[in-house]
Amino acid sequence: MPSLSAFFSRPRLVFATAIFFRLALLIYGRWQDANSAVKYTDVDYLVFTDAARFLSRGRSLYDRATYRYTPLLAWLLYPTTWGGWYFEFGKTLFAAGDIVTGWLVYIILRKHKGMGTERAMRFAGIWLLNPMVANISTRGSSEGLVAAVVVALLWAVLERRIEVAGCLLGLGVHFKIYPFIYAASVFWWLGGNAVRAKGENVVRPRWYEVVTTFVSPARVRLVLSSGITFMLLNGVIYGLPFLEHTYLYHFTRIDHRHNFSVYNTVLHLNSAYYQEAAGLKIESLAFIPQLFLSLFAIPALLAKKDLASAMLAQTFAFVTFNKVCTSQYFLWYMVFLPFYLPDSSLLRRPRLGITALVLWVLGQAAWLQQGYQLEFLGMSTFVPGLWIASIGFFLVNCWILGVIVADVGDKEDVVIPVVALESKKGR
Amino acid sequence: MKQRITYLVPQGHGIDPASIQTSNDTLTFADAKDAAVEKRVTAGLSELPAELVTVLQDVHELHIRWSSRLNYAAPSPFTSRLPPGLHVFFTPRKANADVNICPLLKQLFSPDLKCDSVAHSFSSPPILSERFSHSSSYQYFHPLARLLHFQTFLARTLCGKFKGLCVNEAAALSYASYVDIDFDAISHAVTLTAFWREGIEAGAARTVARKWRGGDSLEVGILQSEVADEVEEVKMGGYLTVVGEEDGEPGPTLFSFPSRHHALSPQNSTSNTNSTPPTSPTFSAHFQHPPGLHPNLAITFPHPQHLAPPKDSCALHAYLTLPSALFIDRYQLADPLFLASHNLVALHSLSGEQDLEAPDWVIKRWGSAALLELATPPPSTITTTNASSGPADEWTVTIPTHLRYLQAPSANTNTTTTPTPNTPHTNTNTTSAGRVSLEIPHPSLFWACEAQEGLKMSVNPFDRVNLGYDGLFGPKTMFYHIPPTALDADGGRNVLVERLEVPVLEPGAGAKWGVQVGTLVAVGVGFGWVLWVLFGGKAGAGRRGKGAGVGVAQKTKKEGGEVVQEKKADRVKGQ
Repeated sequence: MPSLSAFFSRPRLVFATAIFFRLALLIYGRWQDANSAVKYTDVDYLVFTDAARFLSRGRSLYDRATYRYTPLLAWLLYPTTWGGWYFEFGKTLFAAGDIVTGWLVYIILRKHKGMGTERAMRFAGIWLLNPMVANISTRGSSEGLVAAVVVALLWAVLERRIEVAGCLLGLGVHFKIYPFIYAASVFWWLGGNAVRAKGENVVRPRWYEVVTTFVSPARVRLVLSSGITFMLLNGVIYGLPFLEHTYLYHFTRIDHRHNFSVYNTVLHLNSAYYQEAAGLKIESLAFIPQLFLSLFAIPALLAKKDLASAMLAQTFAFVTFNKVCTSQYFLWYMVFLPFYLPDSSLLRRPRLGITALVLWVLGQAAWLQQGYQLEFLGMSTFVPGLWIASIGFFLVNCWILGVIVADVGDKEDVVIPVVALESKKGR
Repeated sequence: MKQRITYLVPQGHGIDPASIQTSNDTLTFADAKDAAVEKRVTAGLSELPAELVTVLQDVHELHIRWSSRLNYAAPSPFTSRLPPGLHVFFTPRKANADVNICPLLKQLFSPDLKCDSVAHSFSSPPILSERFSHSSSYQYFHPLARLLHFQTFLARTLCGKFKGLCVNEAAALSYASYVDIDFDAISHAVTLTAFWREGIEAGAARTVARKWRGGDSLEVGILQSEVADEVEEVKMGGYLTVVGEEDGEPGPTLFSFPSRHHALSPQNSTSNTNSTPPTSPTFSAHFQHPPGLHPNLAITFPHPQHLAPPKDSCALHAYLTLPSALFIDRYQLADPLFLASHNLVALHSLSGEQDLEAPDWVIKRWGSAALLELATPPPSTITTTNASSGPADEWTVTIPTHLRYLQAPSANTNTTTTPTPNTPHTNTNTTSAGRVSLEIPHPSLFWACEAQEGLKMSVNPFDRVNLGYDGLFGPKTMFYHIPPTALDADGGRNVLVERLEVPVLEPGAGAKWGVQVGTLVAVGVGFGWVLWVLFGGKAGAGRRGKGAGVGVAQKTKKEGGEVVQEKKADRVKGQ
């Protein structure tokens, strides 16, 4: 369509639209909060702002029930304690984070994927103009901030700014634990050539070459900068309540309120009736497929083919195999879609793409329907309703993950001609 | 041992002195069956069994209040009410000392009480001021239906000494509307107070007023409520006697005293027609359907036109004690718009277990106590001249609560095919597959009003303190109680608990549906599929042969070239 084409070929217009869209939602949200018993603002945002208020009065953040985040977040939201319109400061910050993320996606697509303006803008629009993303950020959920940090990490790595990447990695892990999986893919990606072209031949590195070049200067810089950042952030905010609520909580959490995760029913059963738990400790076993895929297999096999898509696959695997899964987690991998979709079979074969999307939505819809019956109609849909729905959604996600992995695996390895490597002069 | 028995003759009856017969150690009142009775027995520590005394050594004060779940009329001066069940208020002698009265409570009332230790199972209600003595440090509640266990304990331990009629006294407690047990370290005495409503048919409810042994004192009053001079006072007239004294004839008496708790006087609606008799406001409570996991407790006032504050500066309150299966979210109730949509004014106090996420099986505390201020209907409803009272005229206040995840009871009761009189540990019964039945006590409703200065409420011989909610107000507060409706929706006597059907995950469901194995299989299938795609089928493009490799080199020269450039740049930079 000509008008769409004209729209996307003017980045400033698209960004302006995205900003305006979010501003409108922010103002609407404030109006709804003031005039309706049903609030636009997310409950989590009230937790953050309460914690910021506690901070301003010198009390402990963790007095606020369900505050399980880094103190950085409460500090960032300090202006919300000034009252009036300043209360929306946090939401504005998160929405701004969205825009920054979108901009970073755009420049990565342009520079490192070699896309034209319009095409890059279209794919960046998946994030910028996505109503779900805008809704989540303007309601006051902090997922957008983490997405910004993660995309900035990707940008820094592709720009070969290792220290910046390391700091962002440390910051991301401090904020929400899951970005530690990107350490694996970035680390592996920094290892350099996947294959080398020797004259007219392509040579894969021998195993001993892999081993001897394992500790490369780039990798050392990454590990050091991320480790130091992480330690600093934790050290500055040292304290048992922090550790307990931010990190340890995630290992011992027992609130198995129903969620999308495939393990939810089993964990609920085992928690309520520990005599019935069949010897297997699902809580510990569940880490195995999740970490094997997201921390080892996917980075090792796919990181060097396409870092951004590998990060998508990692995140997708992490969320799918996680013990808890809520719709906010989908944003974690959604931010990588603009990098993966251009070359993906989901776009090349529209039927496949549409099927995947429809199944993904239907899987959630089925679960939500059972959840509605439980929460609001009081029907006992734990088993089989919610359980089967969660298994269905899980299998759909595994299939989609398979498609992603196949697509990335099909890509050609990144090749560095030996000739170019050995010459010290520029091309 | 001191006894004080008060017969409260209902309005409209006269008190005929001839109906009172006294002897050396008994008193017989012929019209006793129409009267409400309050009995108060005070015993010194030396008269109690040793096991009780050792526990009470470490206790500064202990107040136990049990209220029946059958509705009853509460005449003045016995108007104070509590949610039905067992309330325990307790302060240890040394602050923060770990005094465990749980074994004592289980021994006295039921082995099924959810009580491990004071620190874990009791809650700490907010204390308004250190000097205000009407709130204890710790609070506990259990929806106990009957006192059978306690009666058995009394009969076994105390009646050994007193024999015979003592067992009748213990048995008569089955008909009591409320029973109070008070101990404080200063007086070294334990007081048991019980109240029976008027008009109980069963003969077993009444016992003769008799001294249990020589040396005891027995004081009997046969009284009737009179119209008080001051609005805040209660006036009683009748006959008082101390049995066994020389001057044994009952002496007439008339006295008034300020009282904390009052009944609401019937109010005329300001209507032109005289056909509506003056009625007092009442309330009924039920959970709205369908309750789901977020049940709303609806408090309905059938005649809102009578719901006017009895004085200036009064506020309508509801006091709830919720077992741990239900909880109130204080953050939700902080928003004025949300409160207004439920006809609430504010959540004034919430103490106890307030974890918003934990399931019930990890909660050790008994639950939570909440004090809410309710909104009253706008004045136009109160002065309406419409005498009919259809459902449209009702005023409803809703209290939003939330359910924790529950266990199905068969998992943790390790005995019994025979039903016990007391409900099992989690106070639940399975009714149908996948559901559990909870019993939630109704709240107590009252107007809290500011009292005049200079009133000495403790002069009241029938004073009842440590009720949980009175400690949340200042000392100069008067309570006007709104009683529950006499009959429930079915026309039977109103039982002051609500049944709630809660969906629950049954342990058998795991085996029945193969949840454990099924989940493992599903995860295995998904995991295996992804692995196969990763390692097997399609990810092996990089291992194609030489020829393709060359093509590869040329095809990806641009991308590879870019990478090369960056890498070279790094080398130049001195990587």
